[in-house]
Amino acid sequence: MSHDEDRETVRRVLAGDDDAFGRIVARWQGPLVSLAYRFTRDSGRAEDLAQDAFLRAYRTLGSWREDAAFSTWLFALALNLYRSELRRIPPRTVSIEDVGELRDGGAAAAAVDQSDRDRAVRAAVQVLPAKYREAMIVFYFHRSDVAVTARTLGIPEGTVKARLHRGRELLRRKLTR
Amino acid sequence: MRDEEIDRVLGGEPDLRPSPGFEAAVMEAVHREATALPPIPFPWKRACPALAAAALVLVGSPILLVHSGAAAPLRFDALLPAAESLGAPWLALAAAATLGSLLLSRRFAAERY
Repeated sequence: MSHDEDRETVRRVLAGDDDAFGRIVARWQGPLVSLAYRFTRDSGRAEDLAQDAFLRAYRTLGSWREDAAFSTWLFALALNLYRSELRRIPPRTVSIEDVGELRDGGAAAAAVDQSDRDRAVRAAVQVLPAKYREAMIVFYFHRSDVAVTARTLGIPEGTVKARLHRGRELLRRKLTR
Repeated sequence: MRDEEIDRVLGGEPDLRPSPGFEAAVMEAVHREATALPPIPFPWKRACPALAAAALVLVGSPILLVHSGAAAPLRFDALLPAAESLGAPWLALAAAATLGSLLLSRRFAAERY
């Protein structure tokens, strides 16, 4: 869906055509659920959060300024909601001791299956401090695009880079402890 | 662990597909929202006269009392010890805390809705 199509759909919804909102849901359900899943690691909760984000988008559709991309507005709105909901009810996280298998070097680490290792890296991201966790999740969700990450988070690109750098550093430290 | 390894693991994560009924569930919620009655607004028109009358009484009564001679003119230096004995600083602190929590809760509610 192009920027023009987004604008047209939003105008139709604002004019009272609620069914047109279905096009927005169809287009963005995958990304919004995926983003929520990266924060929660729980598919049921991810869908609940994404549904809440769509409802909030529906209620506040009039506040989208058409000069910005609809996706930027939608992701920023969803992220705000995910952030406040996860603060209210934090997701279940795996303790870093359980991630300890990941240690670099040594016979034990070599024996760890690759998928377990990947899971452990993702679990370690969950226990990072919020601002680094957010930056890393949103950055990789947006296919490593710093500019889009900065717009979604509402912070300068330099801050995103600094948080990514620090986030990776913390992650490495956690995984090699 | 190197940056390339972190990039590979986190960047290569596949997207999660929503369950088949997700879109329908969202649209059902949207339709429910669209047909729901709007929240009842605070009745300012009815409340305004009452609020104005209350303000008038609050401001007018001491003035009337002073002018009628029923009370001595207000002297703040005399009021201060009395206010302290009644625990006025604590009352003011409690009022400020109440106001603060009210404003915070309104802000959180606005954020959520």
